[in-house]
Amino acid sequence: MTVIERLLRLFDNPLIVKDGVSRMRSWRAPLVLTLYLSVLGLFGYSVFVALIVLSPSDRSGSAQIGGQVFESMAFMQLSLVALFAPALAAGAISSERERQTFDVLLVSRLSAVSIVWGKLVASVAFMLLLILAALPLFAAVFLFGGIDFEQFAITQLLTVTTAVSIAAVSLFLSAAFGRTLSSTVAAYGAAFAGMVGTLIAGGLMSVGLLGRAAGQGAAATTDVHPLEFANPFYALWIVLNSPNGAPMHLGRLVQMMAFLPGSPSSLGPLIEPWVTAILVEALLVAVSVVAAVQLVQHRRAYVPARPVEPIPYVEPAEAGSQS
Amino acid sequence: MIEVEGLHKRFGSQVALEEVDFVVPAGEIFGFIGPNGAGKTTTIRILATLAMPDAGTATIGGIPVAEDPHAVRELIGYMPDFFGVYDRLTSIEYLEFYAACHGVPHRRRRAVGYELLELVDLSGRAEDQVDTLSRGMKQRLCLARALVHDPQVLLLDEPASGLDPRARIEMRELIRELRRMGKTILVSSHILPELEELCTWVGFIDAGRMVAAGPMSDVRNQVLTGRRLRVEVVDPDEVKLLAARDQIEGRPGVITVELVEDGLEVAVEEAFQDQDLLMELVRAGVAVRSFAPVTGDLSEAFMRLTSQAPHPPASRERVETLP
Repeated sequence: MTVIERLLRLFDNPLIVKDGVSRMRSWRAPLVLTLYLSVLGLFGYSVFVALIVLSPSDRSGSAQIGGQVFESMAFMQLSLVALFAPALAAGAISSERERQTFDVLLVSRLSAVSIVWGKLVASVAFMLLLILAALPLFAAVFLFGGIDFEQFAITQLLTVTTAVSIAAVSLFLSAAFGRTLSSTVAAYGAAFAGMVGTLIAGGLMSVGLLGRAAGQGAAATTDVHPLEFANPFYALWIVLNSPNGAPMHLGRLVQMMAFLPGSPSSLGPLIEPWVTAILVEALLVAVSVVAAVQLVQHRRAYVPARPVEPIPYVEPAEAGSQS
Repeated sequence: MIEVEGLHKRFGSQVALEEVDFVVPAGEIFGFIGPNGAGKTTTIRILATLAMPDAGTATIGGIPVAEDPHAVRELIGYMPDFFGVYDRLTSIEYLEFYAACHGVPHRRRRAVGYELLELVDLSGRAEDQVDTLSRGMKQRLCLARALVHDPQVLLLDEPASGLDPRARIEMRELIRELRRMGKTILVSSHILPELEELCTWVGFIDAGRMVAAGPMSDVRNQVLTGRRLRVEVVDPDEVKLLAARDQIEGRPGVITVELVEDGLEVAVEEAFQDQDLLMELVRAGVAVRSFAPVTGDLSEAFMRLTSQAPHPPASRERVETLP
């Protein structure tokens, strides 16, 4: 089996097809897509007009305007993703329970991993559709200049990984809570804590670190607390505003996270905020998926003592024997 | 085909099942009868690999449910007591989805779906969305869903609940047809007349304990000592009824004769030729208005058995396992 065939098999999951078909037939799908693109487009256009109207003399070039419009739209897109992802994923498993279709899935040949994977991909697929559909808007702004391709690519990558991580955490909460309402509230709480809470808490701690360094007579440090450093908004801001980045040593990040005293550590490699954000998000995805699988497995009552091996399908002895 | 021995299940301090034993031979329809909360659904969920017993064993096709649930899932088709639908899927898509979940190869899924729709008499509704079907149709579709992988054993939890009389009859005929196809069927219900006409084996459960189980005629004879016939006479009075009783009492095969409001109720042995009794009465000049077997034997058997059954200790509360 080739690598491509293996990859394609990953997506040959009945839940992906079923949820995808079901979602795209709903009136909500085109509505959400329209709303998403309208908000993003109108916001970008408003920023563009504001820049022209408010600073008519400052027309140093389209590059500057393009850069600012792109940045505004990138932040708006990240916010919209954080807003839509919980709604799309938080009901994935709890709604199956509410519909009382979950037991029937558990009695099928689908493994717990397949169920969680299928639900995650089905939830993320629509988010990816939104992000893909918005690419022409970003491409139009990209033509103004002011943003290089690397910044453009990292922006989109960061948006996608943020969408996947919020969806994965929401999926875990969906497996943990019996009701979609509860899981949705919890998912929004988690998304807010991850996107805004870490920014505020990390910012306050960074200020605290600065004050402590000053109090101890040490040299002022511009180090950012890891909570803020790994925040997707902060990472995006650095990508779009600091051409040279703002890397920190891994050792320093660990030192600050654990409140270890001493001079700033220079151990470990230098890491950019966007890389840290993506790594943290990948870790969140892994932990959430494993936890969700455990919850689904627990629901099944029997934890298999051996790995689930595919059982070959046996053709009926006679054609049409079902009838 | 199904063997249950010494099954125990507790939910916290509440005893749901206690020493449940029964056997269902291959090719039989086993009526699992008991009031709401008696433990029917808990037993079926254990057999369906959705719950773990605290003690005891359950095997299907010789495979212990607790030891090899994957193999058991290949053998069973499970229909829960509530039919959950997926919005915006057609009937054929619904069956194709579950066929995929059970590992039916892609090329066979549609054909299997259409064969099953024909079996449950829904061929004309193949392209209709599931949520637009009537309740009876949904129940039949749910039964078709349980058959997508051609299982040998069907576990049907209250398949006729909430159906109108016509839909009940259709469901009953469908279950009979499945028996003719060689399936072993365990069907639970608390509506006794519907099972009386359908089942070949029967098991009574009350307060988590089996009070009787076995072939229908054995259980009935065990409790009611024979079949019963009801004879209604024209203008009944005591003299006529006593004369009629004297005529038939003591005949070979007649067990007891009781006077009832408008006639007689006669308990006879299983092999008794009913028409001989009718001829005897007519020859003796008894004006017979009607002559028919008493229906509702199963109800009476159940009432007698459950009234004799020891009540659970006060500390052990019966539980409603599922809504």
